Amino acid sequence: MGYKCTRCKRAVEIDYEYTGIRCPYCGHRILVKDRPTSIKRIKAE
Amino acid sequence: MKIEVLEMSDRFAKFVLSDASIAFANGLRRAMLAEVPTLAITEVNLYNNTSVLYDEQLGLRLSLIPIKANTDELVPKEECMCDDNCPACEVSMTLSAEGPKMVYSGDFVSSDPEIFPSDENIPIVELKDGQQLFLEALAHVGHGKNHSRWQAGIACGYKTYPVVTFHNCDKCRSCIEACPKDIIQMGPSGAEIQDNDMLECTLCRSCADVCGINAITVDQDERAFIFNVESDGSYSAEELIQQASKALKKKSDGMLEVLEHF
Repeated sequence: MGYKCTRCKRAVEIDYEYTGIRCPYCGHRILVKDRPTSIKRIKAE
Repeated sequence: MKIEVLEMSDRFAKFVLSDASIAFANGLRRAMLAEVPTLAITEVNLYNNTSVLYDEQLGLRLSLIPIKANTDELVPKEECMCDDNCPACEVSMTLSAEGPKMVYSGDFVSSDPEIFPSDENIPIVELKDGQQLFLEALAHVGHGKNHSRWQAGIACGYKTYPVVTFHNCDKCRSCIEACPKDIIQMGPSGAEIQDNDMLECTLCRSCADVCGINAITVDQDERAFIFNVESDGSYSAEELIQQASKALKKKSDGMLEVLEHF
């Protein structure tokens, strides 16, 4: 699953073995999950 | 049974139904709310949504947009012979928008030009700079008894016809001052209510309560009903009443058929 750093906007892979979540490029600690490119079907109700 | 139409516009109708039972009047009201077939969005294929609304919240908003369509040409999904979906039971509408802009129901592009949202100015979501919304909405025919998105009649109600009579009025004018609707007038033989004004009476009995000589009788005609009908736009008010009557007739015919073969 891809994540994106909210400061440097680069794609980031999370290393789950590392105890913290941090951008390896800029050190920022807020990452957001990218929306999948697949089509999402929802029930409208 | 008699029907006197008092007011008829695209979205609103007011009429007096007389010489009918209260059961029939209530049946007609319920049919307008729950039995009229209507088209509404039930599923959404989301290609991209970077707006501030969650996908599901967006889906709920889309489902409640009234859609104008000739439902006689469409088949409810549960009655359709197809496996999944087909043009006979499903209508596709696409929406693509990029911010900054306010997305309205009028931005939908329908696969059938005869089918479109009844109002073009229903706000869906406000997109900020760079936000995108690309989706395909799938609409199906249904009934108001299953979900409010298929409810074509939004404010359908009736009241019994008021009958207010005056006997031996002493012209004290206390009832004229007490009436909250201001419909009682002083005539040559005492207080009176004009026929047109009688429709406004709410049967509050304020006039009878203040009358010191019990000259006023407030009653109701239980065989006559004043209907107020409001449509959400998927049908005109006239079509809504016709469709409700058809639904009632269909149910009665079904009952008759069962009894004939019993």
